[in-house]
Amino acid sequence: MSVPVADPMRPPASAQPQRQTQTQAAPSNAFQVKCEIRDVGFYYGKFHALKNVSLPLYDRRVTAFIGPSGCGKSTLLRILNRIYELYPGQTATGEVLVDGENILSPGLDLNLVRSKIGMVFQKPTPFPMSIHDNIAFGIKLYERLPKSELDDRVESALRRAALWNEVKDKLRQSGLGLSGGQQQRLCIARAIAVRPEILLLDEPASALDPISTQRIEELIAELKPDYCIAIVTHNMQQAARCSDHTAFMYLGELIEFDETERIFTRPREKRTEDYITGRFG
Amino acid sequence: MAVEAEMVAIQRATAQRRPSGGIGDAVFHGLTVFFAVLVLVILGGVIVSLVYGAWPALRKFGFGFVVNSAWNPVTENFGALAPIYGTLVTSLIAMLIGIPVAFGVALFITELCPKWLKRPLGTMIELLAAIPSIIYGIWGLFVLTPFIQEYIQPALIGSLGKIPGIGLLFAGPPLGIGVLTAGFILAIMVLPFIASVMRDVFETVPPMLKESAYGLGATTTEVVWRVVLPFTRIGVMGGILLGLGRALGETMAVTFVIGNSHHVNASILQPGTTISAALANEFTEAVGDTYQSSLIALGFILFIITFIVLAAAKLMLLRLQKGAGS
Amino acid sequence: MRLYTRRRIANYTVVGLSLAAMAFGLTFLVFVLGTLLVNGVGALNVTLFTQATPPPGSAGGLMNAIFGSLAMTVIATLIGTPTGILAGTFLAEYAHNSRLGEFVRFINDILLSAPSIIIGLFVYAVLVVPMGHFSAWAGAVALAIIMIPVVVRTTEDMLTLVPNALREAAAALGAPKWKIVITVIYRSAVQGMLTGVLLAVARISGETAPLLFTALNNQFTSTDLNAPMANLPVVIFQFAMSPYADWQALAWAGALLITAAILVLNVGARLFASWSGLER
Repeated sequence: MSVPVADPMRPPASAQPQRQTQTQAAPSNAFQVKCEIRDVGFYYGKFHALKNVSLPLYDRRVTAFIGPSGCGKSTLLRILNRIYELYPGQTATGEVLVDGENILSPGLDLNLVRSKIGMVFQKPTPFPMSIHDNIAFGIKLYERLPKSELDDRVESALRRAALWNEVKDKLRQSGLGLSGGQQQRLCIARAIAVRPEILLLDEPASALDPISTQRIEELIAELKPDYCIAIVTHNMQQAARCSDHTAFMYLGELIEFDETERIFTRPREKRTEDYITGRFG
Repeated sequence: MAVEAEMVAIQRATAQRRPSGGIGDAVFHGLTVFFAVLVLVILGGVIVSLVYGAWPALRKFGFGFVVNSAWNPVTENFGALAPIYGTLVTSLIAMLIGIPVAFGVALFITELCPKWLKRPLGTMIELLAAIPSIIYGIWGLFVLTPFIQEYIQPALIGSLGKIPGIGLLFAGPPLGIGVLTAGFILAIMVLPFIASVMRDVFETVPPMLKESAYGLGATTTEVVWRVVLPFTRIGVMGGILLGLGRALGETMAVTFVIGNSHHVNASILQPGTTISAALANEFTEAVGDTYQSSLIALGFILFIITFIVLAAAKLMLLRLQKGAGS
Repeated sequence: MRLYTRRRIANYTVVGLSLAAMAFGLTFLVFVLGTLLVNGVGALNVTLFTQATPPPGSAGGLMNAIFGSLAMTVIATLIGTPTGILAGTFLAEYAHNSRLGEFVRFINDILLSAPSIIIGLFVYAVLVVPMGHFSAWAGAVALAIIMIPVVVRTTEDMLTLVPNALREAAAALGAPKWKIVITVIYRSAVQGMLTGVLLAVARISGETAPLLFTALNNQFTSTDLNAPMANLPVVIFQFAMSPYADWQALAWAGALLITAAILVLNVGARLFASWSGLER
């Protein structure tokens, strides 16, 4: 088994290093930058969908992306794990530095990159297999574990996703038999089972009922201490509730990025204020 | 929770991650490409083998092969005219009968029948398509042929046969077997294909379009004639061509009832032969290179004809898909 | 009012004709199946399955033909299914906006409706002639070639139906493409693909023409795949066209067996599809 070794690149949880970031906004002093988005652009064919987006994503913090439909927030999220590369004709420019390494560079093992960045999609997408196998799927891709350890990992992922008690008796049943909210928590469990470093949530609760939505939001708060979380949401109240930092985007550009409290009470930009107060939707 | 967090951080840092399956991807991709290309190779192989086998006959007889109606294994004088003629005429009869009936069936299923009947009726029509050719052949030989011989053919000879001009089409004794019988069976075999495509295509018409016509007081016939058919024109043509392709290539049903006679007759009550029937009946006993090569040449001609028809059908249906903007 | 009446009459006529057309189709379905039942049932008995095909004028069964048909169908399925599935996977997963993909699709659809006797000629030229004799292998290959385009088509259709979100979710976990296709996509589409294979098997079960020049026929019981092998369709062809009454009776029995098998496969495939929640 692996011997616990302190990673020299990562400060222990107790230290509070300062790290200057080059963004439009006031730097957040308390936390480290996990992922730095630098001058990122995106093209759907010839259509220039994202223009010069730069901002940091802080570790152990939740960063929300808000903005009207078509502003590019989901597009940006999908750049962070290069999932857009499944489709021809879509290209990204700029740099995305995760722990200092640019994950957009072409030489990297794409699947390895993706295994360190988890994503949960808008619609729950359980695989057509048992609940246990759904969770084990990601783990088995990269780790060879004895069965008991695998089962432990599955259980711990389900516990963290607040799903364990509901499914512990039916782990061998198909994931498709769960309710919408449960399926989404299954997808979250599946994503965190592989211990990613960054968690991307693309409107995770928009397809769910209010009670499930609330549970997802509670889950995000519980997961925050261990992950760098980026969440795209069209629900401003959700952003205000869940996130520490918020980025407002409009027509493919980052208009404003700041601490959530600041954005929702004293936004700097007029467009931000107009969106927040509902002058356009 | 703090211990858990610490564990997570440590394990992330030290996790031994195997590199992802680059080789697996290459192998799998290669396999799929290989088998996809195999499909192309098969068709290419068909063309090459047909040309190769037909070459001796084609070289010997030249273009005259196509218009020569003789078929004499003894003198080794072979001509494709009779089989080609029979293929075309039987298919024509099949289309003349099959298209209107298929249209009627498709019309019934899409516009006229009650909702709960649509599925079962559709399935039954598709079962007609599932019955293999040889079953139609043996049914045709033992059941249809005597019936046609006793009732239909004498009736035709007695009525239409008396009209000068058209009467030539119905000359000769009632034998039961013959071009008409073969064409009729082909019609039954081909109509489910055409009806299926027509039905699928009719159902792509936006309900709003039909409703606005009905709302103006149009009758069902008028809605179908003026709205549905023009809208689905290309798809219907594609379906008809698909049925024609089938009719041209049908072997066993035709072989049983066409009489295998290499003669070109104006009368459809006479026996004849088609390319596929000639092949089925004669290939295994064809002695001599010229005989065999002539038969393969027949096969080559059939392949060209059906290829053209099927390619045209496919192109039409492709245009329909693109036009529908799906 | 005359115009209105004329329109009404025209409508009733067409509706009436449409009804007649429907009746026409159904009548012949019943007619053919009914005749098959009546004539075939009489010759059904256990000896069909225990005795081989007899020489004319004596009693016998169809055992060797049944065995031959089963053997060749199984072999053809073993050859044709993986080929068709992999080729269909290429079209669905790797051939977006690809000229090669469009070309393969086009050619595949041509092969789908090509006359099966031509396929028989092809296999004769590439297998029977070089081998110097007819064989069950050649017959199986001919059947496989007829089966492949059907499986390609249904596989492509079924795989395309799997929503992209599933692919993205698996890719987001870092799964390589081949793993995504095999463990997630195939699993999602397995019921549809199986239905397609069943329908393809039903299709080749009744094919006669491709066997005429490949497997030929064999009046004796033989399990030698390297030699001509008896099979139901060619036996039916030979016996039905003959003047012997007992041969003709056997032909009807064989026809009934084939049709029953095909109908069971067809109806079974459709029931399976609707039971597993697929829409036609």
